Amino acid sequence: MSEKDQNKTSGSKKMQVNVMPVRSVGVRRKRMISAVLKNVLLAILSIIWLIPILWLLVSAFNKDPGINYAHFFPSKGWTFANFINLFKSNSAVMYLRWFFNTLVIAAFTCIISTIFVFMVSYAFACCRFEGRAGLMRLSMVINMFPGVLSMIAVYFIMKSIGLTESHIGMIVVYSAGSGLGYLIVKGYMDTIPASLREAAKLEGASEFDVFKEIIFPLCRPIAVYQIISSFLIPWGDFVFAKLMLGHDVKNFTIAIGLYGMLSKENLPRYFSQFCAGGILISIPISVLFVLMQKYYVEGVTSGSTKG
Amino acid sequence: MKKKKYRLYGKKKKVTFAQSLAKYFKDFGTAVSKGDKAVKLSLVLMGAGFFARKQLMKGIIISAVQLMYILLLIFWAIPNLADFGTLGTVELQMVFDPATGKNIVNDYDNSFMILISSITAILTLVVFILWYIHNIKEVYKLQLRAEQGKYINNFFDELQTYKGANFHRTLLTLPTLGIILMNILPLFVLVAVAFTNYDKDHMPPNALLSWVGFENFKTLFSSGGMSLTFGYAFGKIVSWTFVWAVVATFTCFIGGIALAVLINSQGVVLPKMWRTFFMVTIAVPQFVTLLLMRNFFRDDGIVNTLASNSGLLDFFKNIGLVKPNMSYIPFLSGGSVGWAKFMLILINIWVGVPYQMLIATGVLMNAPQDQIESARIDGASKWQIFWKIIVPYILVVQGPALITDFVRNINNFNVIYLLTQDLYITSDMKMANSSAKEVDLLVTWLFRLTNEDYNYKMASVVGIIVFIICIAFTLVSYSRLMKGNKEEDYQL
Repeated sequence: MSEKDQNKTSGSKKMQVNVMPVRSVGVRRKRMISAVLKNVLLAILSIIWLIPILWLLVSAFNKDPGINYAHFFPSKGWTFANFINLFKSNSAVMYLRWFFNTLVIAAFTCIISTIFVFMVSYAFACCRFEGRAGLMRLSMVINMFPGVLSMIAVYFIMKSIGLTESHIGMIVVYSAGSGLGYLIVKGYMDTIPASLREAAKLEGASEFDVFKEIIFPLCRPIAVYQIISSFLIPWGDFVFAKLMLGHDVKNFTIAIGLYGMLSKENLPRYFSQFCAGGILISIPISVLFVLMQKYYVEGVTSGSTKG
Repeated sequence: MKKKKYRLYGKKKKVTFAQSLAKYFKDFGTAVSKGDKAVKLSLVLMGAGFFARKQLMKGIIISAVQLMYILLLIFWAIPNLADFGTLGTVELQMVFDPATGKNIVNDYDNSFMILISSITAILTLVVFILWYIHNIKEVYKLQLRAEQGKYINNFFDELQTYKGANFHRTLLTLPTLGIILMNILPLFVLVAVAFTNYDKDHMPPNALLSWVGFENFKTLFSSGGMSLTFGYAFGKIVSWTFVWAVVATFTCFIGGIALAVLINSQGVVLPKMWRTFFMVTIAVPQFVTLLLMRNFFRDDGIVNTLASNSGLLDFFKNIGLVKPNMSYIPFLSGGSVGWAKFMLILINIWVGVPYQMLIATGVLMNAPQDQIESARIDGASKWQIFWKIIVPYILVVQGPALITDFVRNINNFNVIYLLTQDLYITSDMKMANSSAKEVDLLVTWLFRLTNEDYNYKMASVVGIIVFIICIAFTLVSYSRLMKGNKEEDYQL
């Protein structure tokens, strides 16, 4: 209580009796107003955030295959055909094929890069060898070299070994350099007590045994994060796929396939199908994201100094 | 009370880079000068030192690798390196082949392949020299062990060390090879191309490349005339890239925290529901939402229709935000640079804030409750608690992520490219002459330079500059933010 209030209370008992209820009603009203305002604000923001998604959803059920310029909701009626047509391949749209292309690339990318990341993380977190700090610093600098910049050079290197326009090339592009993304997993390994490793080594375990039997099982939660996040890369990547996969529609991944559906000549015919395809692809991706979400925050903030 | 620390791996000595480099060569010198005959012989045949200590298998393997590399050097690396100075001299031509009676392609030099091969050759040579030096030291160590009468590993023991003391080598070999292929080699190729005349008039294999020195860098930093507008475009694009990176990073960061705090605050009903609403936008892949947005805000698109029907367009015309002769709001089409930049930032907020909200929610949950509690008991207001405890905490935890975000925004290809490609048309001839647009970031400009103009030389110069900016920024801020190495404090 402030000084003013104290003066009032000591001044007269009558005033105190009168003032207290009035104040609490005022506070309650203030709280009510602020709560209402907050909820209204959230509602407005939600509407802003959901309108484009709603447009995606209603356009996916639009009977008109092209883009609807005049009305938000379909004016020519609703249909489910856009989803069905996705599974009928033609020369421009091979959704199922794209899906499996991406799935295969993602599966291999995920396996290779998870293995690479764990190998590098263990070496940096648990092994002590000459030049370790220097290598870590060097890898941080190299990691600053954005993939988009190197893509021309990567393209020509891949071309010189004959891996452009092939899915093997895409897997190499996505996974070969993945060892650089070790920071999150290494940070997790750093939190595992070294005494566990020391004890195992006293019992005669080699580093390999420690890695296989102790550290890897303990890293399972972060492994989930690593597996899912590397699995998601090929689904969202646009640049490399566009550059590497050439013009053959049946080689496309989902991302460039859907992009192609919105080219000038395709837009009037395929916009509604694009929306349907976008929604379909969201389902598996969002399931994976929800699975990963628990570790997502930890992953993003793991670069900080803990404690 | 300060916790007593002890280090598992012994005390760390501060060694400067120069010192360790000096030690590296000194060790090599001692090994050569103090080594016996076998060690000296290893200078020629690398396995010799192992043969002398009866490590037959190891000696054979190492000598075989040495031999193979020398053959590689003679038959592949040296011929390529010989052309490195000129980048090839024989131009592609059609020549008459008397045997078949047809015109065939002559035995031409492909400058770009020479470039890539030479750089690969130089990289392998560097690796070989490092390995060579390491080998001599190793052989010398072996000599010392033999002199002291210590046990010398047989081949089986040696293999076992790759599961034990040398396990890091087993682990790091493959990832390192991958990184060399995907990151280091491209980096050097990029640097090399920046010093050549690789553009649409000089496209291997049809034409030869040649070295031009710092010519391309001069082109970038000077602006004169209509044909030489790179300097003009570069200045505009660099400043927009920085404005974009700063604004995009902070709007999303602050927006995410504000939204998380708002949803978590008192009086909000069904916080989970609100959170789910925003999460829905994460569920749809980014490229889908971006492609959707660009059609949402087309000049003849649905938003413009609604705007002109509702009178919003006229209102904007009245207050001067839209030119009176326009029949639409030029959201992303380049009719107005300001509108396009504004929309890009707005759409980026739309895309980025839900992610940041997710992170901020997690970070806020882990906020130091004991500190907040004691501050409350001491009579701090909510506002004070927020600014004095929660905000500093968020900054500490999310600081490094903020830097990563900033660098990612400098290179935010997807948002800019997917929203403006084929849609935004620049009206500035000087920009158009260097295939640039006002809304381009350095990376999208680089992509357009290569994909539309085949101007690889200038793209490489731009690439090098982006790289330098990113490195400088990261190194400075990381060293500020991460004082001291705490990685081992948690392993106890």
